[in-house]
Formats: sequence, C-alpha cells, structure tokens
Amino acid sequence: MYYYILNPAAGKTSVNTIQDKLRDQLKTLGISGEFAKTTGPGDATKMVAAAIEKGYNTIVAVGGDGTVNEVINGITQEQVAVGIIPMGTSNTMAKHFGLTNWQQACAVLAARRISTYSLMAAGQNYFLSNLSLGFETDVEKKVDTAGSSLRSRARHLGQSWGTARDFKTLSCKLTLDNLSIDCDIFSLSVGNQKYQNPLLDNRMTVNIAERPVGRKQLGSYLIGRLRGQIAHDEYATSRFYGTKLTIETEPSTSIMIDGKVAGRTPIAIRLTERQIRFITEKVTSGLPALER
Amino acid sequence: MRKETIVGITGNETVIGAGVRVKGNLTSEHDMIIDGSLVGNIKTKGAITIGVNGIIKGNLVARDASVSGMLEGDIKATNNVSIMETGRVRGNVSCSDLAITTGAIFMGTSVMAIPESHTEPIAEATTDSLEA
Repeated sequence: MYYYILNPAAGKTSVNTIQDKLRDQLKTLGISGEFAKTTGPGDATKMVAAAIEKGYNTIVAVGGDGTVNEVINGITQEQVAVGIIPMGTSNTMAKHFGLTNWQQACAVLAARRISTYSLMAAGQNYFLSNLSLGFETDVEKKVDTAGSSLRSRARHLGQSWGTARDFKTLSCKLTLDNLSIDCDIFSLSVGNQKYQNPLLDNRMTVNIAERPVGRKQLGSYLIGRLRGQIAHDEYATSRFYGTKLTIETEPSTSIMIDGKVAGRTPIAIRLTERQIRFITEKVTSGLPALER
Repeated sequence: MRKETIVGITGNETVIGAGVRVKGNLTSEHDMIIDGSLVGNIKTKGAITIGVNGIIKGNLVARDASVSGMLEGDIKATNNVSIMETGRVRGNVSCSDLAITTGAIFMGTSVMAIPESHTEPIAEATTDSLEA
C-alpha cells in the first residue's frame, strides 16, 4: 500500500502540474496509492504517522530534501519503506540514491530495491544524510541558489567566493565519545558512513575542513560544491568516528540538516538504533528485497 | 618545519589534521594519520602515521608506525617502525623491523621481535673456512 506525500511548494516544477501524469505513471506500474498534499512545514511528518496508523507500508516523499527529511521524522515503524520522487530545488538525497527525475523514480519505486540505514539524530530531529555547520550553512543563507543557467551558476559561484573570503573560522569544541577535540573550523559535517559508502557499517563520521589554502584550492572547493559534490567531505582535513557527539562553537552558529537550518550550537548528535528502509536505484545493502 | 595540510581524505582512516587538538584515547581497526596534536594513547590494527606537524603524548600500539613529527611515549608495533628525518621519539620501541633515518632523534630503548628464520644459531667459523 503506497502513500504519496506531495509538497506543492517544492521545486521549480509545480507538483500540481504533473500530478495527473504521475498518477497515470504509477497506475501503469501497478503502484498507485493515496495522494496527500502538505500545506506547511512539519505537515509531512504528521501525515506519515497518520498513514502508518492506517496501515500503509510504503511512504513516498514527492518533493525535495526537506520533504524527505520530514518523512524520515515521521517513520515510527521499521518495516515501513520510504521512497522518493524528486521534485525539489535540492534533490541531494534522491541523486545519492540514483534518482534523476520523477519518471525514473517511479520505475525505481516499482522495482522496490531496499537498503537499510541507521538514522542519526540531533536532539529530536532525525536525519540520514548530513548535518553541517560553518561555511556550508553560511553560504546557504547568503547565496541565491535559484536557477541552473550558466549565468545563475556564475552568480552563485561569485557570491560563494565572497562569502568564503569573508567567513571567519569558528572556534569549536567537540566531545566525541571519550575524546575531546578543539579546533578552528571552516566547515564541519556529521553523517553516517554507510550513507556515503553502503559497503561499510553504520557509524557516525565527523569531517572537519580547515579553510582552503589559496585561490586554487578555494576555487576547486566551490566548484565541487556547485556541482553538488559534498565539498566538506572531499576537502576534510580531519576525520573522526564515534557514536555520540556534542558540538560547541564560539560564537554560537546555525546548523543545517539535509539542507535546512535546524537549530544552533551547542548541539548533541547521536547515531541511533532506529533503522530506515529506503527504496533506491542501487542495491546497497544485502540482497534486494522483492516484497510488495 | 614545513607545514603540510592534508586535503581530501579517502578510505576510512581517522585523521587529525594540523591545528586540531585532541585529548583522549583513540581505538580503531583502521589506519590513523596524526598531523595535529594528541594527548592520549592510540591502539589500532592498522598503521599510524605521525606527520611533520604531529605531536603525540601517549603510547602507540599498531601494526606499523611512521614518525615524522614528535612522539613522547612508547611504540609497540607488530611489524615496522620508521622514524623519519624530522621525527623525534622519546620512548621505547618494540617492533620486528626498525628504521631510523639520518637526522631523526630517538631517545629510548628498542626491543626487536626476532623472526624465526633469524633464530638459528650462527655457525662457528672454522679455521678451514677462514683459510678458504
């Protein structure tokens, strides 16, 4: 039983305009289900809980990273599978799972290849892909990321360059399990290593990036970021592993989860035992589950 | 002393970059690269590399260890220990293969685990063999 949560506010292409085509496609593939639209932030989380109560075993987020994160936060039962139909401005997680457009994502849903991950949590906010702070958060707030034309991308790069030039590194104190870590950071990211490399176990990874040295390195960092690569992982200068982390910074700064500002430091993060089953394009853990 | 910055970490090694200060004991199954400072012990099944900027006060247990920075503590390695040109070690070393490059400083004692192939008694030299 499929439950589709559509976020009409997500992305450039309105969900409303493709809704009928989407229904037809899903019907053709034999995975039609109930459609529900969000009306505001936090709606998807509540809708997931209600859908699970009604007995739906597959929840599909039709939107961007924000919608997917809200869906993740509503999943209370481990046997429920989560799918994505990318319709957002930022579809980082969908791309990571090999989903390139809504039509292909529908076919992936029908194939139902499942990968299981442990969720991370920052306070009561669960996440799968990434928590970041520092330059990454600053640039999201200050730089206009709209548009994919060459001109928009050049403007984006120029604004990112200016933000990076003016960015003051943060004095940071981390407590990771029994370790105490002091450093000045340009960017910090926390994630589950299994999300980055499905062949590895679930384990919290903390990546710290110092300020890129020189124009060449900074340029390469920003271009990588513009291409959607996870720059703070590619350019990490320190990496630690653990299960529980607290982050304190001076001054206090915003943190971003799955591309959305979701609190400020100090913050406690942990790798939880809560599992989530994602329908992905690639089989990334164990054998494909061919269930319906 | 040269300041080198490690950029881009591949694999699943733990890395302490230059400028990062850590207190506590590190345990891992994988390699570790220390280019910052650490007060604490390290125990790993992999290799430990202390870069030129690395400073450690603590003991190391690893498969291999390479020291280009400073270490105040003992090293216990199952295989190789290398103290490079810029390396400074104040402590005892236990390993099966030890290399100290010219310019390195090593203040301590070393205990070598001798491979079985090297344990056979050396044949006594005879007058005949000397004459030959």
